[in-house]
Amino acid sequence: METTAASPAPAAPPTDDEEEALVEEDLLVEDVSIDGMCGVY
Amino acid sequence: MSVAVPLVEHFAGGLDAPICLTWELTYACNLACRHCLSSSGRRDPAELSTAEAKAVLDELQRMQVFYVNIGGGEPTIRPDFWELVDYATAQRVGVKFSTNGVRITPAVAERLAAGARGCGGVPRSGYVDVQISLDGATADVNDALRGEGSFAVAVRAMENLAGAGFAGFKLSVVCTRHNIPQLDSFQALADRYGAQLRLTRLRPAGRGADVWDELHPTAAQQHELYRWLLAHGERVLTGDSFFHLAGYGEALPGLNLCGAGRVVCLIDPVGDVYACPFAIHDAFRAGNVRDAGGFAAVWRSSELFRTLRGPQAAGACGVCSAYDACRGGCMAAKFFTGLPIAGPDPECVKGFGEPRLATVEPGSAPRPSPDHSRPAGVPVTLGRR
Amino acid sequence: MSLLDQAWELAPQVAVRPEPFGALLYHFGTRRLSFLKDRRLLAVVEGLAQAPSAREACAGAGVSPSDMKAYERALARLAETDMLRERTS
Repeated sequence: METTAASPAPAAPPTDDEEEALVEEDLLVEDVSIDGMCGVY
Repeated sequence: MSVAVPLVEHFAGGLDAPICLTWELTYACNLACRHCLSSSGRRDPAELSTAEAKAVLDELQRMQVFYVNIGGGEPTIRPDFWELVDYATAQRVGVKFSTNGVRITPAVAERLAAGARGCGGVPRSGYVDVQISLDGATADVNDALRGEGSFAVAVRAMENLAGAGFAGFKLSVVCTRHNIPQLDSFQALADRYGAQLRLTRLRPAGRGADVWDELHPTAAQQHELYRWLLAHGERVLTGDSFFHLAGYGEALPGLNLCGAGRVVCLIDPVGDVYACPFAIHDAFRAGNVRDAGGFAAVWRSSELFRTLRGPQAAGACGVCSAYDACRGGCMAAKFFTGLPIAGPDPECVKGFGEPRLATVEPGSAPRPSPDHSRPAGVPVTLGRR
Repeated sequence: MSLLDQAWELAPQVAVRPEPFGALLYHFGTRRLSFLKDRRLLAVVEGLAQAPSAREACAGAGVSPSDMKAYERALARLAETDMLRERTS
């Protein structure tokens, strides 16, 4: 599946928090508990 | 690099197979909890046979469903309960069963713990988890809802599980007006027995419809619960049942999405497939596993599920800044309080639910169906077996 | 030593389910569900056990040098959550 780079370049160098947020958004993996699905006992 | 479609949209659009699902094995129950979401009590004569149940498990294996959450009624009082649990794990389908604890004797606890310890590789019974239902951290609060003696039965089950070394079983609580003041006590109870606490939302489903006005949290309690859940992070499970609270600002851990008909569903004791266990009503019935093509055909082709997997109308919620986060809340909560599905949740955190509820004509909300409750006046006995 | 230069494999308690968007991974021990957001990452993960290093598994799956960092972060997350474990042989 092709992906495209679409993140806009920040106007100023990112702060540590912003850098971490960017990395999290781009991460190819997400995880959640198997309990984290609504509609289950 | 970024992905073209957000992950949550893939789930909202449905998958080829559920990730996990709830399977109510029987409507029979030794209790008569006032808020029972499945209106359980009496066994239905048309319950799936052992062979039919195994056929469903075969299908779940083929579809690679990871987990089945077995409930009821009280699933452990079905005579073939252990046979089915063993069959599921042999098919590498994980099982978590929800129980009031009535059959969790020391011997049963020992068997569960032994399975969990396993013997190298992937222990077959390491696939089995237990969830004890409890709705009060003290007997007075719990038994008012679940019946006299039910607190003691649940605690004894937890003692037996802890005594056998079964760590990490679940203590599952439905949050009500009366137990929200007990959140810390629930955590202490879970800690005492080596269990993980699970807090879930009360829906006006099943017999819950009759007690919802009396028992659902107040707006202030809902916010208190939200703050408590934020503070306890991923240590406490929620079944993603509080995704409507994302409207407060910060989402709790979970998909934050209504999974009904998209990534999860319910199979009921007679094989009916519903969007979720909180929506047991003809309006949310997708088909039956006894139909040609079995469960797989229902999951993949039912009209109801196709509709749920399509775009959902936001209705009045479309202009609200919180909509992206809360997605309009729980459709079952809206349905059983007589609200339109395209519109605010009855417990909308912005307060839009309450005025809308006030316009609902008393007695006009849909009634839960089917209803397997015992007739009033039939005594509930808790057998000490 | 970078994670990419080490040998990895899926933890034995992990079930893998391919999906059109990538894959679902479920760990029966931790009870966590991981979503792989692209099919190439699934190919990398499936190739890890046979590859001498994660870097070679990535190359084998067609990961371009400019994307290597993103895949390394993804593999690191999977290792953090015990979906992957280091291979001793």
